[in-house]
Formats: sequence, C-alpha cells, structure tokens
Amino acid sequence: MAECSFGLVGKGYVLIASDTSASRSIVKMKENEDKIKGLGPNLMMAYGGEPGDTIQFAEYVERNLRLYHIRHNHTLRPASAAAWIRRSLADSLRSRHPYSVNLILGGYDHTSSMPNLYWIDYLGTMVEVPFAAHGYGAYFALATLDRFHDPEATLEEGLETLKRCINEVEKRLIISLGKFMVKIIDRNGMREVEL
Amino acid sequence: MARRYDSRTTIFSPEGRLYQIEYAMEAISHAGTVLGVLATDGVVLAAEKKVTGKLLDLSVAKEGGYGGSGEKIFLLNTNVIAGVAGLTADANSLINYARSAAQRHLFSYNEDIPVEQLAQRLCDLKQGYTQYGGLRPFGVSLLYAGWDPHYQFQLYHSDPSGNYSGWKATCIGANNGTAQSLLKQEYKDTIGLEDAIGLVLRTMSKTMDSTSLSSEKLEFATLTIDPQTKRPIAKIYRPAEVDALLSKHGLAKVEDAEATEMRSRDGLLVVH
Amino acid sequence: MSRSYDRALTVFSPDGHLFQVEYAAEAVRKGTCAVGVRGKDVVVLGVEKKSVLQLQDPRTVRKVVMLDDHVCLAFAGLTADGRVLIDKARIECQSHRLTVEDPVSIEYITRHIAGIQQRYTQSGGVRPFGISTLIVGFDPQGAQPKLYMTEPSGIYSAWKANAIGRSSKTVREFLEKNHKDDMSRDETIKLTIKSLLEVVQTGAKNIEISVMEGFNKISSLDLAQIEAIVAEIEREKEQEAERKRTRLAATAASQAAMSAAASGPEVPPPEA
Repeated sequence: MAECSFGLVGKGYVLIASDTSASRSIVKMKENEDKIKGLGPNLMMAYGGEPGDTIQFAEYVERNLRLYHIRHNHTLRPASAAAWIRRSLADSLRSRHPYSVNLILGGYDHTSSMPNLYWIDYLGTMVEVPFAAHGYGAYFALATLDRFHDPEATLEEGLETLKRCINEVEKRLIISLGKFMVKIIDRNGMREVEL
Repeated sequence: MARRYDSRTTIFSPEGRLYQIEYAMEAISHAGTVLGVLATDGVVLAAEKKVTGKLLDLSVAKEGGYGGSGEKIFLLNTNVIAGVAGLTADANSLINYARSAAQRHLFSYNEDIPVEQLAQRLCDLKQGYTQYGGLRPFGVSLLYAGWDPHYQFQLYHSDPSGNYSGWKATCIGANNGTAQSLLKQEYKDTIGLEDAIGLVLRTMSKTMDSTSLSSEKLEFATLTIDPQTKRPIAKIYRPAEVDALLSKHGLAKVEDAEATEMRSRDGLLVVH
Repeated sequence: MSRSYDRALTVFSPDGHLFQVEYAAEAVRKGTCAVGVRGKDVVVLGVEKKSVLQLQDPRTVRKVVMLDDHVCLAFAGLTADGRVLIDKARIECQSHRLTVEDPVSIEYITRHIAGIQQRYTQSGGVRPFGISTLIVGFDPQGAQPKLYMTEPSGIYSAWKANAIGRSSKTVREFLEKNHKDDMSRDETIKLTIKSLLEVVQTGAKNIEISVMEGFNKISSLDLAQIEAIVAEIEREKEQEAERKRTRLAATAASQAAMSAAASGPEVPPPEA
C-alpha cells in the first residue's frame, strides 16, 4: 500500500502517474523503478502490489497482448484488453496461487478515437472511470480529482491537475513516496512527460 | 492405381496434391449457389436452396437461420452471418463450432469476435482435418459477411483446404463462374446497400436453374449498422419477406397453372 | 506390395525412401517462388505473388509475415499449412520472451519450426507440412543478417541466398552465379528482384519485396519502387545485349574486312 498511482482522462489523451519506489517491508530498495508498462502502441498499465507478482503478471500480460497483435495484425482495443486482463486476474484469484496485483490501465481506442481508463484490483474488480487512483494516495487524490478533473481538459490542464494530486499526497501522506513518473497515451502513441 | 492417393485425406499424391480436398471442392461446385456482395453501408448474402417441396413447412423459421427454411444462411454471432455451400450436415457442425468460438471470444474479451478471426478459427479447424489421420476434410465452403470496428464491413470466403480470403463480391457453389463474371462487370466500389441487394438478386436469377425466384428456392440476408446504436444488425429474411423483396425488384415468380402442376408432379422433396 | 510404403508416414520403403515427405516437397515445388538474399548488413525477402483478382481484398493475401519484431518468414506450398505453422512459431516467439526475457535468435526459431515439421513426418496418422520456409532476421545482439531455410522433412540450413517454390532451381542457379559477399542494400534488393525475374514473367506487379536492415527495422517496397528497379534491370539487360550485338557486329566486320584484305590488297587493313 506504500505505493501510489493515478490516472485521468482528458480531451483525446489519458495520463497515468506512478511513484517510482521499490520497497520491501519498511525499507525502500530503489527510487527510480518504472512501474508503468507499455502494452503495445495504444495501451499502458501502472501496476502495484506484491513485488514479485507485479512483474510476473505484467510480463505475462505484455507478451499475450503482443502475441495477439502479431497474430491478427491489429492490437486489441483498450476495452477488450481490459476485459481480458480482468479475467486473467479473476481466474488467478480462484487458483491456488493468486496474483496480488492492482492496476490502472489507460489506452487510446483508434476505432472510436476516444481515450479509455480502467481501474482494476487484485479481486478482479474492473470499472471504466474518468479518473482513478490506487494505494494510500487515493484517499487524498480522489478528493482533489473530484474537485478539479475535467474530461475536456487540455494536456496542460490535465498535467496541472495531476500535479495537484501529487502535491496533496506529498503534503498529507505520512510516508514519502519520492519522485513520480508520468506517461501519456494519445492518438500518436505513448510517451513519458515531465511534470 | 490412382485410387492409392485419393482414398485418404492425409496423403500426398506423388505430384504433391491432396486429392481429397480437390474432390471436396468438386462436390461444392455442384452445391446450391451462395453469393455475397460488400456494399459501403452493409453486406448482402443470398443462397439457393436445394431442398424444396410442396409440403416443406417454411412457417417455423426462427431467427438465426435454423428452423423450417434454414438450410443455407446462418447467424454465427451478432456481427457475422454466413452462407454455406456443400454438405449440409458438415456445415451444421461447422456452424456450431463457429458459434462456440464467437462466444469464447466474447467471454475472454467482452467484444464481438472480429470477422477475420472467426473465419480464421474455422479455417484452422478445416486445415486440421486435412492433416490429421483418418479424417476426411469438411465438404463445405462458406461466405462470411460481417462487421467489426477494425475493418468495418467485410466479406470472406473459406474453402475445404482451410484457405480463406477477403472479397468485395464473390460466389460459391453451382454456376459460380457465371456469377463471378457477372459480378465483375457490374460491381463498383461505391455500391450502396440498395443497389447491392438489386445486384445480388439479379445475379442469382441469372445463375439459378429455375427461371423465376421465390422464397422456396432462395434465402436472403443482410448485415447493416443501426444508425442509432452504431451496432451491427444481422437480418435473415423470412420467406414472406423474401417474396416481398423479390416482387419489389420485379423478380417474383408469376404463379401459373402449368408451374403449379409441374411442382405437384415433382413430388414432395427434391434432393440434389 | 509397394503400395503400403507411401501411405503410412512412419514407414521406410525398402530402398530407404520416405515417400510422403518427398511428395510434400512436390507440393512445395507447386507453390509460388520465394527468394531470400543476404547482403552486408541487410537481408531481403522477395516473393512472387499471384495477381489479386479484381474483386478480392488484397489485405488478406499475405506471403511474407512477421513472427516477431525481428524475424520475418516467407513460405512456399500449401497456404493453409503455412498459416497454421506460422501461428505456432509466433506463439513460441512470445513464449520464449516470457521465459528467458530475450527475443528468440533466428537460428532458435528456425530450429523450432523445423522441429515441428519433423514431428509431422514421424507421428502416426498425420501428413507432413506441405511447405518450405525462408526465415530472415537479426539476432538480438547481432548486427549480422541471417537467412535460414526449412523443408517439409524438417531439415534446416543457413544460406547466403536461396529460393524455394516454383522454379527454385533456376533461381538458385542464378543466385549461385551472381551472389557476392558484402553487398550493399541496393545491390541486395536488385539481386533479389533480378533473380525473381528469372521466373516471374509478369514483372513488378507480381513481386513483393521486404527489406530487413536491423533489429526491429523492416520495410517493404511499394510498387513504384519495384517498378523503377525492374526498369533499371531491363535497361541494363538491353545495354548488355546492345554491347553484345555491337561486339558481334564488330567481329563480323573485322572478319569480313580481313577476308576482303586477303582477297584484295588495295583495301587497307582494319585498325586495331
């Protein structure tokens, strides 16, 4: 839970931010860990949870979506990818060794020309949302997002809102999470942006 | 001695041919014609029925193609319809498989299966039956008419070898050569649904053996998009609707005494 | 009875042949031609493609496919078999990345594909794959272009340049005569097209060229580019023929002059 990720949808883009700490118990092991994985040209996923599980699951998802892409010459739409990922987690939950992974999935659907954002947790819950947050940070960020989020916001405004969330978490959360990494997906694909 | 290589599907002949597949294709070229045309705002399928008879009950036709009249055109998924040519029993089993495959995709991805993927799924099965022991290939060719958000309206053809390809307009079954050349002359890339329906009916009336068309010999279906919901609508016409469509296009059968008499003499069921 | 030796796959004939494997190779020889040529730091795949029919959708006709970001494959033989084998290879590529994190090496995936092909020559109740493949690409850490071939028997081998399918022997002989080590990108493409022209009479519109220049760097030439190269090749051939003609004419002229000189001393001897 000492991890935090946010996502929000703006006009023609989706933003995802995640802290960059890798910790074990109460010890911070690393502070430049990239926890937002690109899953093809139009999809990305911020992951948190049990350290070993997260990587294992993220790579499993990455390879399967890549296989789909190369087999069928087109990528899965974000909605379909989200459904598949959710089912993988739900099946895993009912297996002997479930993954304990929480996700925020953001993508751009080229068939509808719309950005999509999904909130998924380790129990196989999935919701499509205009903004999302995982971890302790969610308690502070959601209120900020309720107040400031605008689905029609430009990229500058969206980044501004994201900054407010991060500032709020840094100010109020008892744990310092360190630096945040932000990635964007729009019709041109995925890239990292500086806050 | 030629029999040595044509008795089992899994065997190459010395010239590297698979006779069983070629024979299956031969069988299909005698089957009832199926014709498909891709329009800018929809896809049209029509098929010639071979099982006819005066006492055949056409009234119980159900949605999806099964029932009293359903012999050639079936609903595979909300976004795909298919016309089959060849052994009807083989076709039924393929239709069943396709419907399951479509539902499996829906289960995994919460979306309608993309049309090409459904065709591919069936072709993988068909290919398997040309390679694994003791089985004969499926004696069925299909035309798939469908819509998905990736490539919009599409028309595919698959044959017993497990090959498939996409088409703007094509035809399988008896007289497909004649139909293909008619289509080649008349098809335009900008054709709309209404014109496509006309083209299909006209081509069918020219290629089918009988001089006039009726719901007794013809199955008909369209796949379009609902302008409100933007969702695909598959419509398999009921016998009465087929007759209405035919008379609208001036191709309906004119009931005359001679024809009625001919049919009653033919007996109950004509199986080709 | 000799007849049983070419029916069951797992069985040798008395003189040590596996007939079904040989017949499968025959199916490959019926397929369209594919050529692979390695240059200094580029590898090119060229395939002969059948003309797309007027009403066919060219998107669904694929002869060269990607297995992964850095591996490309072309095949000759039964298309449906090809699709199934390609699918197996694609799964292996991603599965390999998932287990050992690295992308497959070209040799590894070739060996995997050949392994599958071999299994189908030895297992009960199956026929071999009726395809040969050319596999090209760059290893994850390497700058060296790679080219491999697999056959229905399960044999695989590395090549500087090779051809499979229809008239592959002619093309291979042409390549043997004309291939040089360390060719540039343009030279490699040109040689590929030139060798394909040995069997493709219809020119640029029936040729497809894919160029791989490094890990993840693949492109295909469009029709205009291929046409330009074909025109250049034809021009060179023309010039070559012209040179030959003038040389022949020159020899003939000098001979005539010499014989004239021998008969009539008043004609001055030809200049060197």
